[in-house]
Amino acid sequence: MNAPPAALPGLLPRFARDGVALAALALLALLIAAAVLAPWIAPQNPYDLAQLDLLDGRLPPGALAADGRSVLLGTDDQGRDILSAILYGMRTSLLAGTLSTLGALALGLLLGLGAAWFRGWTEAIIMRAADLQLSFPSILIALVLLALLGQGLDKIIIALIAVQWAYYARTARAAALAEREKDYISAARALGLKPLRIILAHLLPNCLPPMTVVATVQIAAAISLEATLSFLGLGLPITEPSLGLLIANGYAYLLSGKYWISFFPGLALLGLIVCINLVADRLRDLLDPRRMAG
Amino acid sequence: MIPPIFGLFALLGALALNAVQAADLRIGMAADITSMDPHAVNITPNNNIGWHVFDALVHVDADARIVPGLAQSWRALDGTTWEFRLRRDVRFHDGSPFTAEDVLFSIERAEKLPNGQYASFVQRLTEKRAVDPYTVRVKTATPYAMVPYDLNSIFIVSKKAAATASPEDFNSGKAMVGTGPFRFTRFARGDRVELAKNPAYWGGAPAWDKVTFRIIPNDPARIAALLSGDVDAIEAIPTQDLARLRGDKRFGLAQKVSWRTLFFHTDQYRDPSPFVTDRAGKPLAKNPLRDANVRLAISKAINRQAIVERVMENAAVPASNLVSPPVFGHLASIKPEAYDPEGAKRLLARAGYAEGFAMTLHAPNNRYVNDDQIAQAVAQMLARVGIATKVETLPINVYLPRARNGDFSFSLLGWGSFSGDLALRALLAAPDAGKGYGAWNWSHYANAALDKLLDQGFATVDEKKREAIAREAAAIALKDQALVPLHHQIAIWAMKSGISYVARTDEYTFAHHMK
Repeated sequence: MNAPPAALPGLLPRFARDGVALAALALLALLIAAAVLAPWIAPQNPYDLAQLDLLDGRLPPGALAADGRSVLLGTDDQGRDILSAILYGMRTSLLAGTLSTLGALALGLLLGLGAAWFRGWTEAIIMRAADLQLSFPSILIALVLLALLGQGLDKIIIALIAVQWAYYARTARAAALAEREKDYISAARALGLKPLRIILAHLLPNCLPPMTVVATVQIAAAISLEATLSFLGLGLPITEPSLGLLIANGYAYLLSGKYWISFFPGLALLGLIVCINLVADRLRDLLDPRRMAG
Repeated sequence: MIPPIFGLFALLGALALNAVQAADLRIGMAADITSMDPHAVNITPNNNIGWHVFDALVHVDADARIVPGLAQSWRALDGTTWEFRLRRDVRFHDGSPFTAEDVLFSIERAEKLPNGQYASFVQRLTEKRAVDPYTVRVKTATPYAMVPYDLNSIFIVSKKAAATASPEDFNSGKAMVGTGPFRFTRFARGDRVELAKNPAYWGGAPAWDKVTFRIIPNDPARIAALLSGDVDAIEAIPTQDLARLRGDKRFGLAQKVSWRTLFFHTDQYRDPSPFVTDRAGKPLAKNPLRDANVRLAISKAINRQAIVERVMENAAVPASNLVSPPVFGHLASIKPEAYDPEGAKRLLARAGYAEGFAMTLHAPNNRYVNDDQIAQAVAQMLARVGIATKVETLPINVYLPRARNGDFSFSLLGWGSFSGDLALRALLAAPDAGKGYGAWNWSHYANAALDKLLDQGFATVDEKKREAIAREAAAIALKDQALVPLHHQIAIWAMKSGISYVARTDEYTFAHHMK
């Protein structure tokens, strides 16, 4: 009785027809693999202070550290190997981006479908709350929340969910409003199925494609927002720098020529976000029937 | 036709000449200026402006030693009575003469202003009176040698202009009438303070007609403002940019060992201490920081020279004392603890911590030069001798209330004092609000012998004897490892070449000392 979900089989070959997107996907896969494998492939655990040596501080790329190994991308002011710090920092960024996107997706989906199904007061309250949230700049809301909640990755994820759920709620409601008038939903109702079952088993799967498009785009936004917050010194402790904090730490050295402390983490962040955006754009072209991409 | 044209040229020439002669100075300041009222909020940036518009009876020279200000001399008539003789030919910016009435009014205002933070400097004065228009006599209940030092903190305002003035009247400029080298022009909160020359200044007219203090707390922005010519001089040079500025002929530097000492307070009064655990994270029944050997081990584990060279770019000197070498009461016989990680491990083992322990180091992240980097550097050094150290850094306005509340176990503080005994009084005397002792003794270190020496020293009017007592007191505290000294900052200013500045131990940035 389900309407067929958007055609997922054959997606990859169609995706691969765009060379740029394919290259971005490959690079993204490489970055994700490097981040996941960081504890095994990084030359140093940058979060373990006992492994750092102040005397190795601010070494330029390719220099030799006190213990004889070469630091490929240089070190920061504490003697932290930039390459290791980038690998670990990408872990944090990806984790924060993915978890907060999933969290916001779940919350937004639930509220959006609820609003579309029940209409009336429920809808009014949920959608006005979403309007209210969207009327403030997300960085402002995140700053206020982090000031209240304190430091930590979990707090960052909560703040990122809080600033993102409204996008999903709006998309989900729009999709669900269109779906609920269709015959298969009427049929389900006629069978006397409970609302919860109809929402979860029938409405939800058919609203997913537009949601995945929003989610892939939003992951990149979440990662850059996390970097912005870290750059401003909110969120993670200074001994566990994410990409944003690494860039902030090197910022003070830019005028004195020690470019590598900010530059390489910035490059990594740029690469991550551009790749995700390219992949997301391609997915949107493929999944959005109005775009008719091949 | 010729004369008018000639006249026009003369006029233009005069204007051009004027433009050349009008000397403007723009200075980039590192910290926000919050109030113009000289008796309201006692923080360095506010006092810095205060010293331009106002004077005090007693001034401080570039080496942080007291010198005559509006009082040309003072003496103790007996242990509890002090007499100040005032300068006679001084006038306020509005032209009215400066007399003893203004001194008495200023002392009283500092004492009574609601929420004023200068009351502690005059609370000990039980009696104040004008013997004649140019002589002021004050009395204290018990013999007290620090009266001239305390009066260095009381800016003299005009009784006529400030009789009923609130802090708002000072911010608007209505009550900003002083005797200082500059007249007040404008205060734009969070942005700038503008001043104009007082040509009749008793200490000699300053070299600048107009001075603008721009508030630029962001380090790279402040440096960029200097490099681009937006400002002529800046204070608090970020150490990262020192090398670059030294090599640039367009700019000159002025530097001096500052009176600000950075050190760690250690929780010495609680079992267990809130942020000390064993290495697995389980609370320790006993607080290791109460053991002087553990504190000595921590001191030995810290490589001060490496911090000075690598983090501070040599803009600091390793510390052994609470006050830096030029300051009154510095004890030269005690040297900075040498870096000795093996010795630290042995001491820890002997104290029963062969396995080490874990703790959290707290530090501000926007107050002292490179404070968050220093915190991390110390943490990695402690980690290497077995003290697994986490770092938590906080903005200073969150950090200080929590530290005062006793939230921390091991916490960074920076302190500047006129003298060793004043530093000991604030930082290590057993806390006693009535006596004004131990207001910043976060360690809750308490030693009756130290307190007795301080009592004795503050009752000793003879400066030489007082300094000897201050050194004796410092020796007691330092041998107890009452706190862990780190380094003395070196204060650095950068100016366009052609401008010179006599660098000051007290870190103040004085436009009238720039030439």
